[in-house]
This record gives sequence, structure tokens and C-alpha cells, in this order.
Amino acid sequence: MTPLSPELLESVAAAAVREGLADALFTRVSTPIGRLLVVQGADGIVRVGFEEEPEDEVLAQAAAVTGPRLLASDRELAATREAFDAYFAGEGDPHGLPVDLRLVRAPFRRQVLEELQRVGPGEVVTYGGLAARSGHPKAARAVGTACARNPVPIVVPCHRVLPGSGGVGSYGGGPRRKRALLELEGALLPTGSA
Amino acid sequence: MEVLPPFWTLVETHGDELLIHARRLAGDQHAEDVLQDALLRALRAYPRLRHADHLRAWLYRVTTTAAIDAHRARRRELPVEEVPAAAAPDAYDDGSFEALIAPLPDSAQVALRLRFVEDLDYEGIARQLGCSPVAARQRVSTAVRTLRERHAA
Repeated sequence: MTPLSPELLESVAAAAVREGLADALFTRVSTPIGRLLVVQGADGIVRVGFEEEPEDEVLAQAAAVTGPRLLASDRELAATREAFDAYFAGEGDPHGLPVDLRLVRAPFRRQVLEELQRVGPGEVVTYGGLAARSGHPKAARAVGTACARNPVPIVVPCHRVLPGSGGVGSYGGGPRRKRALLELEGALLPTGSA
Repeated sequence: MEVLPPFWTLVETHGDELLIHARRLAGDQHAEDVLQDALLRALRAYPRLRHADHLRAWLYRVTTTAAIDAHRARRRELPVEEVPAAAAPDAYDDGSFEALIAPLPDSAQVALRLRFVEDLDYEGIARQLGCSPVAARQRVSTAVRTLRERHAA
């Protein structure tokens, strides 16, 4: 069987976007921490999936809030792809990108992730610290849950939230990725140099 | 109601076979245009689908309709002096078969192609056309009878 040509698929996506038929677009970005699946709706990035997350599930989660008309297009998401590339080249921060937190239903978790967007690259915050900033100093555990379930990792930087007791703590994409991101941002010394 | 899958999942799963279907109906030259049109039609209708059953068959039907409409549009575009009765659309490899069925209505042509080019049984034709197997058999046999009568005349 002949697979569909990328040209044909891009052309369908472009026509669909022109006609307002796309509920959301997605693209696969190659990065030093593996391939990321980025889903972006009209209001911003809805979901970022790590390589080991089944694509069907990630897309279905996004579709549940954007509508089912999801289309792949590297071209229509060129700006988003460039922002990710620049970030992984150490030249920017993808959190300039618009974010749509509709997948976060619980109000407190949403508030935590909104607060977290103010923590810039190179900075870190503790779970307790972020709880305090979100207005509930005793809710460090709930902050942990909010981070663990963050639908848009990297863009909303839950990797910048560390345990008060030291170490990098846990991460939805695994502690190794968390460390790699923090090293990239200069918030941690590269492993082995300490 | 079962949730509709993300549209692109369907494209990635069935895109190849739909392109083959479009090629059979419209020829190599027009297949990609037909498929693109079909996918856009499908996108327009997608949110209005009331259930998530038979999505593959539905995509085949949409592609079939897009192929028929494209064929009609091309025929309208041809200047009159370029349509001698025996001229087959040049997109088809099998000129003789296409020339034979060219005078028939589009729906009859599609039924004949599904039966004799794609070699589908009536169940298969019914799925593609979105009708019952009985109706599919009827369409093919009516088309064959029309052809016979034309040749007898």
C-alpha cells in the first residue's frame, strides 16, 4: 500500500483550517527528551504527550474538550514547533505559547498551574512554596497532584517544582526527564559535575 | 452515544485504502484530489454524526460520492467537441471498459466498477454505496441490462 503523501495531508489540513473545520491541530516534535505530541486548539496548547503515552489516548483526551476534528499539521503549527526547538536549543521558553487548561477540571489544580506559569526558566519552587503562592500553604500534596496530572508539561513547567526535602522528586515524564529539563535551563548542574 | 474518535485517527488508519478506492473510481490522475475533497466533506459532516459505528464504511461512501461529483464536474468542463461517444476519460487505464460504461449515469458506472473492476460481491458493493445488498444487486443488474440494450440497438 502507498501511504498518503505528506503533501496531501498538509493540504487537507490547510484547507480545513481555512474553512474553520479544525477543532484542534497536532504535531510531533523531536526533542532531546524524546518525541512530544503537541495538541493545540483555538485557544492554545491543550495537551503535550510524552513518547511513551499512547497517541490515541492523548488525542482522545484532547478531543474530549476541543471537539473531534483533530488534524495533524507540521506546517500549520510551525510557530509552535519553532518555539519548542528554540527551547530545547536553550534559546527560549515555550511558555510564551498560549495554553488552554480546559483539561484541568478541578479549580484548585487549575489555579496551581496558572500560578506555576509565572515560574520562569532557571527558577524553581517547592511544592509547599507553590501551595502558598496559590493561596493554600498547607496544600503541598494537592499541588503534587496538580503537577502529576499537568496535561501540558514543559509548557506549564511542572518540572520546576521540587520537594522541599531535596532531590528532583517525581515527574509525570519520569525523574530523568525532569532533571534533563532543569539542567537545560541551568537550574541544576549537569549530572556528574556535582 | 459512543464518542467519535479524533478525526485524524481515522485518516491514519484508513487513508491508504481510501486512496486506493479513489484511484479505482477516479484514476491515478484525479485520486488525490478526490480524496482531499472527500476528507474535507467528511470533516464538515463529522460533528453531526450521531454514532461512531461503521466509520470506515461511511468514509468509503463519502469518497465514492466525491469521485462521482468530480467526474460530473470534469464532464461539464470538457468542451463539447471533445466528447465523442466512444472517448473514455483518459484517466483510466482500462479504456475499453470505461468507454463501454461512459454513456451510463454516474451511479450505474460506479456500481459496475465496484462489481467488475473492484470485483466486490453484493455485500461489499452495498457497503460502499450505503444501500442493501438487494439494492446493490439491482443496481448492477439494471446497469448491465441497459448496456445490453444499447449494444443490441
